[in-house]
Amino acid sequence: MADEIAFKNKTHRAKHAGRKAEKKKNKNKVDQSNLTARQRNPKAFAIQSVVRAERQFRRKEDVIAKKQHIPQVDKTPLEPPPIVVAIVGPPRVGKTTLINNLIKSFIKINVTNTNGPITIVTSKKRRITLIECNNDVNSMIDIAKCADLVLLLCDASFGFEMEIFEFLNICQVHGMPKIMGVLTHLDMIKNAKTLKSTKKTLKHRFWTEVYSGAKLFYLSGILHGEYLRNEIKNLSRFISVMKFRNLSWRTTHSYILADRLEDVTSQELIRRDPTVNRDVVLYGYVRGVPLMKESMVHIAGVGDMKINELSYLPDPCPLPSSEKKRHLLERERQIYAPFAGVGGMVYDKDAVYIELQGSHSHKKQDEETNENKVYLKKIVETKENLDELRQEATFQLFSGGPVMYPDMVKDDEYLQHNKAVNSDDESESDESVSENDSGIDQNESGDRKKVPWENNTVNGSGEEDNDVSSNDDETADKDEVGVKSDDEDSSDSDIENKEVRTENLDKKWNEKLREKAIEAYLERQKSSKNIMKLVYGDYEIGNKTKNKEQEISDEEDEVDGLFKKVTKTQKKKHQEKEMLDVDECSFFYALDKPYLKDWTSEANKQYLINNFVTGKRSADEDADELLKLDDASDGEDEELFGDFEDLETGEKHTVEGTETGTKRKAEPTKSDILDKKMKLKAKFDAEYDNPDDHRIKGDHSYYESLKAEALKQSELNKSVFENLDNGLRVEVEGFRPGLYVRMSFKHMPAEFITNFDSTYPILIGALNMAEQNIGFVSCKVKKHRWYKKILKTNDPLIISLGWRRFQTIPIYSKIEDDLKCRYLKYTPEHVTCNMHFYGPITPQNTGFLALQSVNNNLNDIKQAGFRIAATGSVNEINKSTQIVKKLKLVGTPLKIYKKTAFIKDIFTTTLEVAKFEGARIKTVSGIRGQIKKALNKPEGAFRATFEDKILMSDIVFCRTWFKVDVTKFYAPVVNLLLPVGAKNAWQGMKTKGQLKREKNIKNEANTDAMYTEIKRAPKVFKPLVIPKNLQKGLPYRFKPKEKSTTLSGVNPKDKFQNRIAVIKNPYEQKVTNVMKMLKTNYEKKKEVQKEATALRLQKHKKQQEEEEWRKLKRQKELKKKICRHLSKMGNKKKPQM
Amino acid sequence: MPATVHTDVLKYKGSNFFRQRLLLATLSGRSVKIEDIRSTHDDPGLREYEVSLIRLLDKVTNGTRVELSPTGTSVYFQPGILIGGQVTHSCSTQRGIGYYLEVLLALGPFCKEPMNAVLQGVTHSGLDVSVDKIKTAALPVLLKFILVDDGLELKVVRRGAAPLGGGEVVFKCPVKRHLRPLQWTKWGLVKRIRGIVYALRVSPTMANRVVDAAKGVMLNFLPDVYINTDQCRGPNAGKSPGFGISLVAETNDKTFYCAEAKSAEPGSGEISLPEDVGKECAQRLLDEIYRGGALDSSFQWLLALWMALGQKDVSECIVGPLSDYTITFLQHLKDFFGVMFKLEAIRNNDDEDSDDEGITPANKIKMTCVGIGYVNISKRTM
Repeated sequence: MADEIAFKNKTHRAKHAGRKAEKKKNKNKVDQSNLTARQRNPKAFAIQSVVRAERQFRRKEDVIAKKQHIPQVDKTPLEPPPIVVAIVGPPRVGKTTLINNLIKSFIKINVTNTNGPITIVTSKKRRITLIECNNDVNSMIDIAKCADLVLLLCDASFGFEMEIFEFLNICQVHGMPKIMGVLTHLDMIKNAKTLKSTKKTLKHRFWTEVYSGAKLFYLSGILHGEYLRNEIKNLSRFISVMKFRNLSWRTTHSYILADRLEDVTSQELIRRDPTVNRDVVLYGYVRGVPLMKESMVHIAGVGDMKINELSYLPDPCPLPSSEKKRHLLERERQIYAPFAGVGGMVYDKDAVYIELQGSHSHKKQDEETNENKVYLKKIVETKENLDELRQEATFQLFSGGPVMYPDMVKDDEYLQHNKAVNSDDESESDESVSENDSGIDQNESGDRKKVPWENNTVNGSGEEDNDVSSNDDETADKDEVGVKSDDEDSSDSDIENKEVRTENLDKKWNEKLREKAIEAYLERQKSSKNIMKLVYGDYEIGNKTKNKEQEISDEEDEVDGLFKKVTKTQKKKHQEKEMLDVDECSFFYALDKPYLKDWTSEANKQYLINNFVTGKRSADEDADELLKLDDASDGEDEELFGDFEDLETGEKHTVEGTETGTKRKAEPTKSDILDKKMKLKAKFDAEYDNPDDHRIKGDHSYYESLKAEALKQSELNKSVFENLDNGLRVEVEGFRPGLYVRMSFKHMPAEFITNFDSTYPILIGALNMAEQNIGFVSCKVKKHRWYKKILKTNDPLIISLGWRRFQTIPIYSKIEDDLKCRYLKYTPEHVTCNMHFYGPITPQNTGFLALQSVNNNLNDIKQAGFRIAATGSVNEINKSTQIVKKLKLVGTPLKIYKKTAFIKDIFTTTLEVAKFEGARIKTVSGIRGQIKKALNKPEGAFRATFEDKILMSDIVFCRTWFKVDVTKFYAPVVNLLLPVGAKNAWQGMKTKGQLKREKNIKNEANTDAMYTEIKRAPKVFKPLVIPKNLQKGLPYRFKPKEKSTTLSGVNPKDKFQNRIAVIKNPYEQKVTNVMKMLKTNYEKKKEVQKEATALRLQKHKKQQEEEEWRKLKRQKELKKKICRHLSKMGNKKKPQM
Repeated sequence: MPATVHTDVLKYKGSNFFRQRLLLATLSGRSVKIEDIRSTHDDPGLREYEVSLIRLLDKVTNGTRVELSPTGTSVYFQPGILIGGQVTHSCSTQRGIGYYLEVLLALGPFCKEPMNAVLQGVTHSGLDVSVDKIKTAALPVLLKFILVDDGLELKVVRRGAAPLGGGEVVFKCPVKRHLRPLQWTKWGLVKRIRGIVYALRVSPTMANRVVDAAKGVMLNFLPDVYINTDQCRGPNAGKSPGFGISLVAETNDKTFYCAEAKSAEPGSGEISLPEDVGKECAQRLLDEIYRGGALDSSFQWLLALWMALGQKDVSECIVGPLSDYTITFLQHLKDFFGVMFKLEAIRNNDDEDSDDEGITPANKIKMTCVGIGYVNISKRTM
């Protein structure tokens, strides 16, 4: 036993303690610290309830779907325009101080004047344009239309003022820019507790207006006339990182906030007539979308204008170079503010302007300059120009000799010389033209480099284009003298050229029309390099503008005095003439018999065969090739290519029908494979990577595809014109946002210049197609709930819609169930209604606001309170309106037969009746009927049938609708043209009520509508007539007593009234008196007797009553006795029974 | 011929491109004045078909003002707002229905109400594209721009040959707020050929002979050729005798090339053999295929119009060589809308062809433009 035990091995016992055991434990243990909650506790994340999980998923998807917006094509250009930061607030709130401080914090410059837009470079990638908004509702509207970011200043010690709420409402209507509130004057509130509560209340009020959580800044105080530095720094930091959203109006329209203005009208014209229409040049950055060259624009406060000339200039405030560095250099911190008078030197196409610091250079005034001034003044004051004076001047060589006029002196040497020079110019220009024929980018660079001050035009107005090639048409006119003059070689070469040309022309001339067309087609195919030139001719490129005056006369070129040479222009004209009246036809071959090849011939077949699926595909599409590519990329390491190349190259197949004689492509090289792989990778990435939004999971493929599409489009928009020459790019794409442009306008009102005030923004908004037209606009509108009055139809209203502000006369209406617009006299309260007015055509869904006055008269404002009368958006545009008003035509029956009746008074003529035949009519009592036919006799009467017989006393009416026309009144608010002090006092058409109030005209009340007291005549009844037979049978007292009880009869009591008075003689009087006395005496006696009798009677009655009573008592006692006796008897009997 | 602009009225001379000018004026809302209309001709002034076009434009718009000079040689046209809706128009028989239908096609998406137009007249005319061609080749192009087909339809109710007409088509077009930008640079290879041969008031054998001839040519290139015959009877055959064919080549990227040929008009003195008509049509189709591009050459101008009227995005498309009509249309587009296309000739860089005798594949032209951001201002929103 003991051995056995000894032999048996001891079983292994794993260690439970000690170093090794610890190690082992640690080895097996999973490191809990790195695990996610899900891994650590998987049960908690398992689906417990399917329903709950489903709900959770659904909710998640809902939240995601809510976040999704329709992807929009990102249109911000590579170099965006400066961001417009508008500083808005009521007066004396600290706007100018804030601008000054911001500028100082950004670029460390003090500006003295903050008029107009101030553009500064704030960071490597951002510029801002600061603009202050003055306290005028017109400016507020214009600023709201162009600002990207609004700093809304508010005096905290006062609270929000009406202007702020108005501005916020304006913003909401025209597209909400980013808004930051800034509270100033916080140091005015001394008490810390009040300060805190004020801040809080103001913040919450601001949040309800903008959105909760909107940023509100506090500028806590002023130190040395400036806000605290760190607060401004903070604010500027916020400004420079702000992101912006797209506003629909601004992503469809381009606009410019003009920051410089110039009057380029000839001084001469102004001197003669100061009110002459001006030629004005405006400058600014293009914003929004690209601006097309020949578009119409609206200058807010002036009106619609056509851009006469548009060109881009080098950026006056460029972004710093793109090299990598952390900070802006000092010299890159630029400022550009012509209206504020900073920036020093200004370059222009025509001139350079240098601002002279101080005026000390002009201080000296000696006698000479004084004298000069007098002469200058004299010259300036003359009204005619020098030529005219010269024309008028005459002189006589000898006294009595012929008077000579300047017209007679023609061939003076000076003129000849001048013309010779011109012809010289021309030959030069000819050469340059021939050189330029080859390409699109004509003489551009050459012109651009030309220094502006080389321009030696007389008035320097800048309108005259002085580049040589465009001038050559003009000079061509003059060269008649040039040929005669001395400049031999140039004219010779000219003539040679022309002869060659004429030969060519003659040849071409003889050919037939059809052949010519074919040739033109072939030529066109070959010269397709210049396809743009072919289509658009010598179009303008970039800044160059076409010389407007085409050649006026070209018959001057004579070859031998006998033949007239056909010039190029004449040839062109002839061609045009031929084309003038041809029948238009959209086929490729406009001629009857097209020029066709025989495609079935073998030679021609080759060019065609690859256009069919049965033909050979291109390398990247052919399945064979692709397969090979795949193989090659799979076996990249094995060196297979060398072998294949030899086999395949240069092999030609000619298989019938499908196979063609084209070469096989060479085997794919390594780069091909690499390309392909990259492509595949890109595809994979696009499919599975979603870098910008990690949150969206699940199947959102539709949204993703939309997003991808938008992204692709925006990339294409940016890239497609990237390599294009800038001039051509501008032509094709328009002036893209971010370019600094110079736009000139002709015939601007003189008041725009003379009354110019730089504190008012000049907003130039481009008008898209058809928006320059005027039509009837119908929109939905709601009276603003803060506006005190309701609005009345046909009261003029000032509307801010699109870029425009204008006054018009609206009509309100309501859409009925049958989609009819029913006229309303007043706007309903708290609900939207329709409004129709005559005004500029604007796309649907554009927001607008309405004001009753833009006059900043303090009394008016105080009276009106909140000035925005209504807001709404455009529904529909049309060229006519259909607003109707209910009309009831009332008539009476003329004659009635059973259910038919003749009705009169509804219409006045038979024609009207004819128009209404079949119309429904109705009586007041509700009997319906129909108009049948007009009657002959009373004009306008008609026959009608009813569902029942009507009465003569019935009133018949016909309900119809009457069309109301909208008044064609449209007057733009031209506040920029008003005198400087009164720019905020534009007064348009007044309302009728306003006029009446002013002229103190009281309303004439309609007398018919007034209430009068009702007088009712007493009712007279007919006398009761009793028939004679009946009278006979009546007892006497019921018999009628008097015969005169007839209608005409008089009341019997009245009979005596008209009798003669009886006057008694003295005796009779005495008798009557005695009789009277006796009578009185007797009556008195009778009265006393009567009283005594009454007393006696009473006594007697009492006596009798007593007697009676006694008698009754006695009887009662007797009855009692008897009854007692009876009962006693009864009781005795009873026991016996 | 460039326009001269005078107080925002475009002035043109001559009767040519009358339709283009009126169409663009209607779309752009700009007034146009056309002078010297056949002023040197024997019968000066507007023709009947042009007056009919003005009438049609008046029917689909509201507020259009037209002033004709007493001689009819000058027209002032002030466009109104596009209305659309139910329109019935009997077109002049001098031109085909295609002349009017193309205008309606261009205007259709921009009306206030969906267009439902009934046009009566000559469905197949030599001067204009036939209704079959518009149906097969132009509608798919419009579809590319509006993307969703809600009711775009062209129905040929009756056919009518040239001198007397008697045909009728119904055109329905949905209304869109704006067109989408289009990138169309691939058109693929021709995969099938379909066609229709109509015979109006002639022997049915004519149709079969045309089919045979056309098929004979096309089978050289592709086996998938089917040609239907449409033998019309009674009132459906219109008022004049005639026959014709239209062939459509469809590529695998939904590009349609269409060619057509028809018999000579009765009374013109010529006699056309059915075989000739069939062959001519096939040859024309081959020529069209040779020129290539993303769409049929007759509708290049429509493409250019819709590209220009898109949103402010880049559209690009590769087409075959530009036709004269398209070139003038592009010029007119610049006059009316100020939009300019970037046109590039695309060189075929297949070096294999360089050694041949001068005939290279037709040059393709890449048209690129930025839309002007045109929106349908007539449409009503609620």
